[in-house]
Amino acid sequence: MSSAILFKDIDEPGLGTLAVYQRRGGYGDVLRKGLSMPREALVNELVESGLRGRGGAGFSMGKKASFMPKGGMDKYLVCNADESEPGTFKDRELMTKSPHMLIEGMILAAYAAGATKSFIYIRGEYAQQADILDAAVAEAYADGLLGENILGFDFSLELVVHRGAGAYICGEETGLLDSLEGKRGNPRLKPPFPANQGLYQGPTLINNVETLMTIPHILGMGAAKYAEIGVENSTGTKLISVSGHVKRPGNYEIELGMSAREIIYGLCGGIEGDHEVKLWFPGGSSSPVLTSDDLDLGYDFDSLAKAGSMLGSGAIIVVDDQTSVVEVCLKLAKFYRHESCGKCTPCREGTQWTVKMLERMKSGTATPMDLDIMASVQEQITGHCLCVLGDAMAMPVGSMIAKFRPEFEEYIEAARERAERELVASLDAGLVGSAT
Amino acid sequence: MPRPERKLITFSIDGREVEAPANMMLVDAAKFGDVEIPVFCYEPKLGAPVGACRMCLVDIEGIPKLQTGCSTPVKDGMVVHTQTRRVKDAQQSVVEFLLINHPLDCPVCDKGGECPLQDVSFGWGGGMTRFVEPKRHFKKPLELSPLIAIDRERCILCYRCVRFSQELSEDYQLVLHERSAATFVGTFDGHPYVAPFSGNILELCPVGALTSMPYRFRARPWDIENAGSVCTLCPAQCNVAFTVRDDRVLRVLARENEEVDDGWLCDKGRFAYQSIHAEERVVAPMVREDGVLREVTWERALEAAKAALGGAQGRIAGLAGGETTNEEGFLLQRLVRDVHGSPHVDSGAGLDRSGLLALGDPGLQATVADLEFAHTVLVLGTEPVDDAPILDLRLRKGVRRNRVKLAVATSRPSSLDPNATLAVRYAPGAEAAFVTALSAAFYGGAVDEPAQAAGADAGAVHELATLLRTSGGDQPGDVVVLYGQRVLAEGEAVTAPLLKLAGALGLSGRPGAGLLGVPTATNGRGLREAGVLPDAGPGLTAVPSAGHGATGIAEATAAGELSVLYLLHTDPLRDEPQRAVWERALEAATHVIAHAGFLTETIREHATVVFPAESYAEKEGTLVHPDGRLQRLRPAIGRPAGVRAAWQVLDELARSAGAEHGVHTVHSATQQLFAAVAFYAGLSVDAIGAKGVRWWEDDARAAAWPQESGLRAAISDLVAKTPLSRTPDYEEAPTPSGLGAADGATNGALRLGTYQSIWAAAEVEASPALKFLHPHQRVELSPADAARLGIEHGEHVTVGSAGATVEAVAHLRNESPAGSAFLQSGIPEDAANVLQGPLVEIRKATPK
Repeated sequence: MSSAILFKDIDEPGLGTLAVYQRRGGYGDVLRKGLSMPREALVNELVESGLRGRGGAGFSMGKKASFMPKGGMDKYLVCNADESEPGTFKDRELMTKSPHMLIEGMILAAYAAGATKSFIYIRGEYAQQADILDAAVAEAYADGLLGENILGFDFSLELVVHRGAGAYICGEETGLLDSLEGKRGNPRLKPPFPANQGLYQGPTLINNVETLMTIPHILGMGAAKYAEIGVENSTGTKLISVSGHVKRPGNYEIELGMSAREIIYGLCGGIEGDHEVKLWFPGGSSSPVLTSDDLDLGYDFDSLAKAGSMLGSGAIIVVDDQTSVVEVCLKLAKFYRHESCGKCTPCREGTQWTVKMLERMKSGTATPMDLDIMASVQEQITGHCLCVLGDAMAMPVGSMIAKFRPEFEEYIEAARERAERELVASLDAGLVGSAT
Repeated sequence: MPRPERKLITFSIDGREVEAPANMMLVDAAKFGDVEIPVFCYEPKLGAPVGACRMCLVDIEGIPKLQTGCSTPVKDGMVVHTQTRRVKDAQQSVVEFLLINHPLDCPVCDKGGECPLQDVSFGWGGGMTRFVEPKRHFKKPLELSPLIAIDRERCILCYRCVRFSQELSEDYQLVLHERSAATFVGTFDGHPYVAPFSGNILELCPVGALTSMPYRFRARPWDIENAGSVCTLCPAQCNVAFTVRDDRVLRVLARENEEVDDGWLCDKGRFAYQSIHAEERVVAPMVREDGVLREVTWERALEAAKAALGGAQGRIAGLAGGETTNEEGFLLQRLVRDVHGSPHVDSGAGLDRSGLLALGDPGLQATVADLEFAHTVLVLGTEPVDDAPILDLRLRKGVRRNRVKLAVATSRPSSLDPNATLAVRYAPGAEAAFVTALSAAFYGGAVDEPAQAAGADAGAVHELATLLRTSGGDQPGDVVVLYGQRVLAEGEAVTAPLLKLAGALGLSGRPGAGLLGVPTATNGRGLREAGVLPDAGPGLTAVPSAGHGATGIAEATAAGELSVLYLLHTDPLRDEPQRAVWERALEAATHVIAHAGFLTETIREHATVVFPAESYAEKEGTLVHPDGRLQRLRPAIGRPAGVRAAWQVLDELARSAGAEHGVHTVHSATQQLFAAVAFYAGLSVDAIGAKGVRWWEDDARAAAWPQESGLRAAISDLVAKTPLSRTPDYEEAPTPSGLGAADGATNGALRLGTYQSIWAAAEVEASPALKFLHPHQRVELSPADAARLGIEHGEHVTVGSAGATVEAVAHLRNESPAGSAFLQSGIPEDAANVLQGPLVEIRKATPK
């Protein structure tokens, strides 16, 4: 596709090796240009590109870098490679195929932030990608691209690949920092924000894999040119991971602003079995669901926010009309119950309560009143938690109840009837009450 | 580190303008407007807020989301709402969430009636639940330790106990296992949570999840009264509240006094109250007849004591132990000195008058709080967790929160080493040489020679001097030297270089800096100031002729020069460093009159008259904290019928010898003491109050500290000049002749160091809950020495010198310096004081 930036050479054989990456122009003029610019100019370039964080929150990358304080203290750059949002698998492909692009992006980001020590925190399940990164980092060190005086410039950077142990919460930036420090991965209270007090209490810039990998390209084409791609407030291209009931699931690089219909029906070839879309998660399982009515929305930060959802990590999960919304809801809630760190009350208790109610709906022991309670519990969680994990369950669950209430009611009723039938049948068969 | 200054700002809360200190957290600032914001996890004593429970959500204008009041510093002009529907709904939600898994077993829960969760549920909860699912279940209750029961179903996961273990006491034992709703509190390795400060989590727990094993099911809050007093089990003198039911102490709680204890207690202070009601306690007077102690009437016991004292013709000596109050000490020295004309009275100060005057100079005193805000603290020859436990927490707090630089100079490896910027070792008993070397490093004197004599690394001594000198950056830093009394054993050979060091660091008259001495006895400082000294009277006034100190008393008694020993709350066989001479003295004495709570060895074997002693919960009087704070002991319970106050006995004995002093109540003794001590002038028990008064903070009283010419004048002159590096005009103290650490290793013997564990106390032995902690002798040595001697960790050995031996278990420590061996003192059997030192030999024990 013509708009491809990150994916331009992604399938080039051997791109993961330093030789091929360099032959493709990596670690070349762009890096030299970046390292010879004054730091402020580089940060400015990032601000002007309009690049927004690709990990989920969508905060301006340049602004975040500009928050890093000046001064001689130890500063850190951390790459968040704990890609654990359900439905998201773009960073995995990027790291598998082009690890050096990440390293180059990190060198530039670290230079902009004034950081001299950097870490890639990669989720434990990405063992293969971690091995690839280890090898690439070793190559980069051997070639003088990491370590003292990179490319002869007065800039040095250490890079360590750290493997997490698989907790979803360690993808939350402060939880990640605690885990990286060797502690239990629990989110911290904010403020202070990582830019002021992050890793080991030092100023820390923390960014997603895709965000960091975009930096060399911005520098290569120039911020102004990059900003022309996409739509207002959502510049550039975005990797999206499409999964669910589509014919051609996978990673795609799109220009921001493309319509959802184009993505689902164009790029992904429509719905498996030619069914209808019932609902879709536009930005990972934490985003409030949208329905078939929303398919003509532009896929960009602002349009999705206006529709009451979010672009998040760019993971589109499509659910067809053959699937029960209650089952989707239960699966989702179970995930968040399992992954809640347990530190703050609304998330810890709210997620497990929600699961228990949904399980009763399934087993036929719930009433429509439980639906009201469940909706109210989601409201009690939203905005009251220490980090966003609680909201990450409450918002999609809340949106499903709001948008599919009749289906929930029917499901509850049907389950009750089924349970009653089963009870009667078991009584008839003498299975209940017999002393065995 | 200067203390933070506080500026007042104005903010609005619930429509009212309120003044509060800037940057105070909203939950605290709200109290200035009489608004209570409920909390669970917030506890400022534990450090920075964590915002975990979400109970304190409030609405701040200009911020879209509700904010946690515990973590939001108040700013000028802030507009806060706590009573809006939105806030109330949020708070009610959190209560509902907390209660869904909390068993509603309040009627059988020990916390019932004094439970923050009950209070908050009542005040901010919705009053009903919509939760119909089964609650979370755990096996319960379980022993988290022999002292603490844990009920995980009641736990609301507020993190307080875990934060205490991780960030306050730094024992790193408590952690949260699992995650989400399955999270539970436990120790990392599943072993019991046994640590010197573990009991504090009982008070931190806002629900009934952590309860005290000894207190469980003993009383309800409406059955009890709490009585404030002071713990006398160690020199830290923490402020406590005794929980009393039907005249029995059932529990001890911290009574927060920021200047003394910061609101924490050690487990000895928290649980050793059980000794008050122990069966072993002496509750009736006794007299020895035909070699056997028998209970007698008070009249008989008093007659026996009077006869003994009267017949001694002045050949008597008095010795006061650490738990003696100022009043008791004052009356004892008057009885011995004035009534019976004997100069032999001591409280084990271990230093002569001029040394005490120099080190006790009001201008040189540091406070407990200074430990937390100094630039650098030097811990010299003391192990705070054993010698004054609560100071250990204070030092850790200073390092962790205020980045105080900690230097540790001890012979035995310290538990504070990991927190220290620098840890220096010297050979046991070589304090004088070490301090001489350190002081020489400031004045350009010879360092290598004394350092070598001290068995210390000269480079490390220089490094320590540099750390102390440069801690304040460009300005001279605030340095606090926290030293143990044992450091002063060699008298002037130590005090002179120590004072020069104080001079070099400019400690004199400098707020926030100075010396802080930890006496071996609880009220060591008070007893000195009350004149329980061989060479000084009340107020450290000079006496016409000096008497013997403790060891001298023993020698003189053994030699038959003294015939009656008066022991006030002390057991010399256990408390004194040289057991052998005391054994001879007690054998030789014709009468041993003792005030005692327990029949420990001296009392059991040698006392001829025993007066039952009051427990610290029964006693009234005053004490002096090591930093000069006069504190008041107030009786929490009545005395057992057979017990009389020691002041009464002492006065009765004085009166029977014809001395009428008009001591009708303990307060008249206090008044007489305050009148006799010039630097206590104008004080009264009312002025001391519940939180105490540091007498030297009043200029007039500080000026009344006795002045002396000669050595002290020379030293104070030196101290006052505060040079940072210059050659002293004071002659170098001669390098003490000590044994270098290496000397021991060559002939196979090791240098003996001693220490007293926090658990080495008669009260611990007599408290059923604490008995399991009571220490057995063990000898700590380095793996290198052990290998040379063919001894393995855990092996039974005998440690001997000059014919005497003790049995011990070998305990190999990697940190232990080669050439030294460390034994415990203060334990009933095989204590270090059996051995003379300075060298000991260790052999494998022959199997019995």
